[in-house]
Amino acid sequence: MKKLIKRSVKVRNTTEHLRQSEHYKTRDIVSAYGFLSPALILAILFIVLPIILAFTYGFTDYYLLKPNDKEFIGLENFKRMMTDEVLIQSFKNTIKFVVFVVPLQLSMALGLALIVNKKVKGVGFFRTAYFSPAVLSLVVISILWTVMLNPTSGLINELLANVGISKQPFLSSASQAMYTIIAISAWSGCGYQMMIFLAGLKNIDGSLYEAADIDGANAFQKFLFITIPSLKPILMFLVITTTIQAFKLIVQPMVMTSGGPDYSTITILQYIYEYGFRHRNIGYASAITLAFTIFLVVISIIIKKLFREEKAA
Amino acid sequence: MKIVKKTLFYLMASLVALQFLLPLIWMILSSFKIDDLIYKDMDTIFAFVPRFSDLSLDSYVELLGFYNIFKNVGNSLIYASVTVVVGLTINSLAGYALARFKFPFKDWILIFIIALMIVPIEATILPLFLVVNEMGLINTIPGYLLPFIINVMNIFLFRQHFLSFPGELIESGKIDGLSEVGCFFRIVMPSSLNMYITVGILTFLASWNDFLWPVMALSNADLMPIQVALNAVFADTYNIFTSHMMAALTIVTIPIVILYIIFQKYIVEGSMQSGIK
Repeated sequence: MKKLIKRSVKVRNTTEHLRQSEHYKTRDIVSAYGFLSPALILAILFIVLPIILAFTYGFTDYYLLKPNDKEFIGLENFKRMMTDEVLIQSFKNTIKFVVFVVPLQLSMALGLALIVNKKVKGVGFFRTAYFSPAVLSLVVISILWTVMLNPTSGLINELLANVGISKQPFLSSASQAMYTIIAISAWSGCGYQMMIFLAGLKNIDGSLYEAADIDGANAFQKFLFITIPSLKPILMFLVITTTIQAFKLIVQPMVMTSGGPDYSTITILQYIYEYGFRHRNIGYASAITLAFTIFLVVISIIIKKLFREEKAA
Repeated sequence: MKIVKKTLFYLMASLVALQFLLPLIWMILSSFKIDDLIYKDMDTIFAFVPRFSDLSLDSYVELLGFYNIFKNVGNSLIYASVTVVVGLTINSLAGYALARFKFPFKDWILIFIIALMIVPIEATILPLFLVVNEMGLINTIPGYLLPFIINVMNIFLFRQHFLSFPGELIESGKIDGLSEVGCFFRIVMPSSLNMYITVGILTFLASWNDFLWPVMALSNADLMPIQVALNAVFADTYNIFTSHMMAALTIVTIPIVILYIIFQKYIVEGSMQSGIK
């Protein structure tokens, strides 16, 4: 992001001298603002205004059903967040999901990409097969897996029984539910990222591998010293987007577990939804929204920094 | 040795493929069976291998008997199409203005757009609901569609694309007497067709798959997009027959499969483009 801003500032500097000698043409100004105004109006209404509202309501006790009764209560909401056990639980759940799903999904995606990058017959079939869950929507995936994971009559337990494993509770157990959601999310998401990795693999200069062959490098060394460094920009992009996406987990627990059992799968976004939308407790939910939004922005900046430093080193 | 290696590769690749395909095969096959058969077949190979004599369209007929799924599928198709057409127009116009014209505060507007790209939209969904609620647009189609018609990422992508658009083409249009608006719709848009298809497909998919926002913005069952309706059917009648549910899931997946078959190239390219920049 910073890079983008820097780049646009640079563009500004290089065009500065042009601009000083050349006055704006009225026609251009009219056209430009005419073209821009629908987008700008919508952006202000639906992106900027919500953020402003989160800021203002976050410091009040606004309850949607009593709109005239909202009072400024300072940092009360934020103090309450510190001791709200369900919120802390949902934060822990969200972190757990991110910490497990990002490496799992990305390594699966990279593994699949390496398989379908082989130049052999029939590889197109495998590519389509691995990608196929990506055409299902999250709701379809969630319903399908809930049916298949039914503890008493589900397909998966039947299959496990065939290899002598006893029935598992999966989504209906507080200890297994989150890991089940993690596995399903990785299963459904990795095909898409496989395609992105694959595009990156295809871009690697083949002569690098030839040179390594001459130097007597083995397959693992080639992977570690050529493939991984060449994929770095793509890897960075995928880590950032997957991490941010993972923090916003909500559809799977909403459809599959409603956050249960025992709050074991409730996520932050889901908690905001429950408190703010279902219970109409706008003040407190806005405070959480505010904290969560800032948290996400900081996280994405930190990840970018980490990658950049590694690149420089 | 080489043959052994090759066999091992195919064996491994196929085993992996099964993990991705079997759930989908089971979903589709089960939609053509009655529930008794689904559960009878479950611990046999016939859970995944069709016996054509047993397959029937009964579950589809029964599903449509108590729930008109095509209404909600139709809603979703319309919502996604409107979002694509209006969204592409508004966002590309803005991107074009930022790429082509010189005007006061241009750089500030560009920085504003770039800064908005970092806002995690879904995270601010609750205050978005409040804004739309204050406008009295909850449970209306404009209230549902407008917030996701604007897409700052797409504005930026279009701006980058139009930066390299040949100015002579536009000048020649002007000599032919076209206005700026005319130039845009007659010359710029048609010659950037690839860009529009790519961004359009991704927009369509995002709109089709959206779940959280329509849950909040549309509670009227007649207006619901299919993803929300599907979840309602699944949750309300938890004892719905498995075969009916699988038929519903299969129907919902078909339009996207068709979309992927036609536009696969654009989808992958598009996600690369929006990422690397």
